[in-house]
Amino acid sequence: MDLLLQLAINGIANGSHYALLAIGFGLIFATTGIVHFAYGPLYALSAYFVWMSVAWLGLPFVAALVAGVAASTVVGMLAYLWLHRPFERNQSPAFVVMIVSLGLFIVVENGIGIVFGTDTKVLEEVTYGIHFVGDAVISELQIAQVVALVLIGAALALFLKLTNYGKAVRAMTDNPDMAAVIGIDTVRISVLVFAIGSAIAAIPAVLVLIKDGATPAMGFSAVFVAFVAVIVGGLGSIRGAILGGLLLGMVENLGMWKIPTEWQSSIAFVVLFLVLLLRPNGLFKGQ
Amino acid sequence: MEYLIHILVMMCLYVILSTSFNLVVGSAGLFALSHAAFYAIGAYASAILIIDVGLPFPLPLLIGALFTAAIGAVAALPALRIGGHYLVIVTLALQVIVLAFLINAQAITRGPAGISGIPRVELFGLALDSPQRFLPLAAFFAAFCFWIAWRLTESPFGRALRAMREDEEATKAIGKNVVYMKLSAFALSAGLASVAGALLGRYVSFISVESFTIEETIYVLAMVILGGTGNLWGSALGAVILVSLPELLKFVEMPAEIADKVRQILYGILLIVMLRLRPEGLIAEVSRAAQRLAPVPAGEVPVPAIAAATPAGEITVSGRGLSKHFGGIRAVEDFDIDLTAGTITGLIGPNGAGKTTAFNLITGFLPPTAGTISFRGRSVAGRKPHEIVRAGVARSFQDLKLFTKMTVLDNVLVALPRQSGDGVLSVFFRPFRVRAEETANIARAVEVLRFVGLEDKAGETADNLSYAEEKLLVIARLLATEAEVLLFDEPLSGLAPTTLEEIFPVFRRLAAAGKTICIIEHNLDVIKRLCDTAIYLDEGRALRKGTPEELMNDPELAGRYFS
Repeated sequence: MDLLLQLAINGIANGSHYALLAIGFGLIFATTGIVHFAYGPLYALSAYFVWMSVAWLGLPFVAALVAGVAASTVVGMLAYLWLHRPFERNQSPAFVVMIVSLGLFIVVENGIGIVFGTDTKVLEEVTYGIHFVGDAVISELQIAQVVALVLIGAALALFLKLTNYGKAVRAMTDNPDMAAVIGIDTVRISVLVFAIGSAIAAIPAVLVLIKDGATPAMGFSAVFVAFVAVIVGGLGSIRGAILGGLLLGMVENLGMWKIPTEWQSSIAFVVLFLVLLLRPNGLFKGQ
Repeated sequence: MEYLIHILVMMCLYVILSTSFNLVVGSAGLFALSHAAFYAIGAYASAILIIDVGLPFPLPLLIGALFTAAIGAVAALPALRIGGHYLVIVTLALQVIVLAFLINAQAITRGPAGISGIPRVELFGLALDSPQRFLPLAAFFAAFCFWIAWRLTESPFGRALRAMREDEEATKAIGKNVVYMKLSAFALSAGLASVAGALLGRYVSFISVESFTIEETIYVLAMVILGGTGNLWGSALGAVILVSLPELLKFVEMPAEIADKVRQILYGILLIVMLRLRPEGLIAEVSRAAQRLAPVPAGEVPVPAIAAATPAGEITVSGRGLSKHFGGIRAVEDFDIDLTAGTITGLIGPNGAGKTTAFNLITGFLPPTAGTISFRGRSVAGRKPHEIVRAGVARSFQDLKLFTKMTVLDNVLVALPRQSGDGVLSVFFRPFRVRAEETANIARAVEVLRFVGLEDKAGETADNLSYAEEKLLVIARLLATEAEVLLFDEPLSGLAPTTLEEIFPVFRRLAAAGKTICIIEHNLDVIKRLCDTAIYLDEGRALRKGTPEELMNDPELAGRYFS
């Protein structure tokens, strides 16, 4: 029973991490239609940026965090403007844009490896406490992951619902052509969602840097899990991305009750496959 | 010297990988990220079958290829049925789970240590244990796999793939099962990739998951993009270049680990730069020269291939209570329609009245919210568009949807029904039958073109046609399906009056030959002169039915539409 409680706690915390990744990726995907593979390595890049700011430049952690979010935002916008936009302007097929993003993926991932090396970078400067719930352990970092999801999810939902820009994003998600017809500047909105999505990605990046450290390969699993969560939850809704991420985290961790640890990463595949077979529009959409 | 020959062997393996990946990326226009996984499955399946089961060469390779193709098909089918971006995520997930399996299922795969000591191939008592001795075998399989891929792209199946890549909706509308096509191309590509894996194991006698990461797929993708997705020679060239290029990097002094990363970065940059500056690749797709055409006897051209099973005057297609709602919008509401063999029915009404939606419902492109559709008295509810076309109800599109990069002849040829060459197995196992049919089909296609007066243009690429000729080609392509019921969506809009006079007889002769014809048309003069009967649609409902004269003399309609 305590094991189950522990697994549930870990599941919610990991699920929150996945959900945050999925919100950023899903926002970009649903609005612009771009499968932004480079989202993964750019997420890794923001973890390295924060690590570098603290470990090499000696910045206080909070300042490094703010700088990390800012850097991620700028890099995300540039990725759209310099890389994706020219192809959109040429009306390249969707899969060409995807290949280009894959090109950026491999450039950034290996660039990180060359500059920082492939060893795990940890932030020893930042420490956090743990608390006991019965015999189960819950760390302050896990609490931070859940709180970050709640705050960011709520803020984004309010933004999309209440502001004019938010409404434009939703209109473009519904139908980009129609959005352009009614006078929405779709390029500006695309830049905006790349900025917001990349800013959001920096938060789970920093939290995972503190928790597990950063490696060049962390980007691949991040974009993979974000993509799966978005499809499982249902494309085009924040609620779907959040629930999809939480579901993956829960299933992966609760699954460890019966399934050996090393198969953990395969569970996501099974969930994805079942959803595509049984509910191709996602579990939490259109109700 | 031995090292140079080693590079040649690696080129052979990568020619297999790149040409097979091009079948998916280039020919079928699908984007998948699991090629390295199939390469891995082939390598592991073959190694295990040799070491643990003891099967002799080349059985492990062949069984491995079938096994890999089956895994590819099973994994891709759900995603292919849905379409869109789902194949990307499923193949990415497949890549992840295959590697996880290879690492974790230690009892079968020996885990992270990989499989070592894979025995060399022995042929005629000679162990192929050096690059020199292995090269002929590698070259043979590279040539064989290339031949399979090439054979497929040059077959009627390959023609249908090119059509699908240009316009998937139009390909469904000529009766092709696009899910089957995608699935076959994908499974065949997976099977071919596994051959490269099996050879790799036999060549270096050691395999581990290190060789089959996602980076390997990107490496092969870079070869395909560099060479050009439009043809297989390009992929082979891309493989040759990208296998030799990293060798040049070895002249630059740097640690091996860094060199590997620099290599990866170069592939990434190559992908981006190629797609930006020369998206067609080093070798662009060659436009296929027109086939030699059989001479057509002079004189009046007969109406091509009519197999009208329904006697004139009897109802062929019948829709009852059809409704289609999009959210709150009622595009079609409680619509009844009867189409009769040997007559031309006009569908008129203002823009947005639901005319095209009605066509989409009848031909299975949209499922109705309510109502029934039957053809020759049998319900066609829930049937896929290509099944309905094959049964005998076909439609054209307002925006033409021609296969503009294909020749006029190919546009018609691809639409002909009952081609054995549309099946992958027939392409390889009944080549003579496919060839004989192809000769007959070309003659039929020319006949169809001649019927609409386009036979002079047979060898032209479709986007070189004038607007009127494009409209004729739409008619020809629809006729080529040999469907009994032909639904034309604005076939005559935008044509000059003199051109109309030339096209009217085409429709009349088709009706006289027993076809059921329905056309959407705005020009009342055309309706009056061409149609036997007409239906006036407004806001999704059929307001009036009758002869064109009756409708035009109706005071209410006159006020609404004809004023």
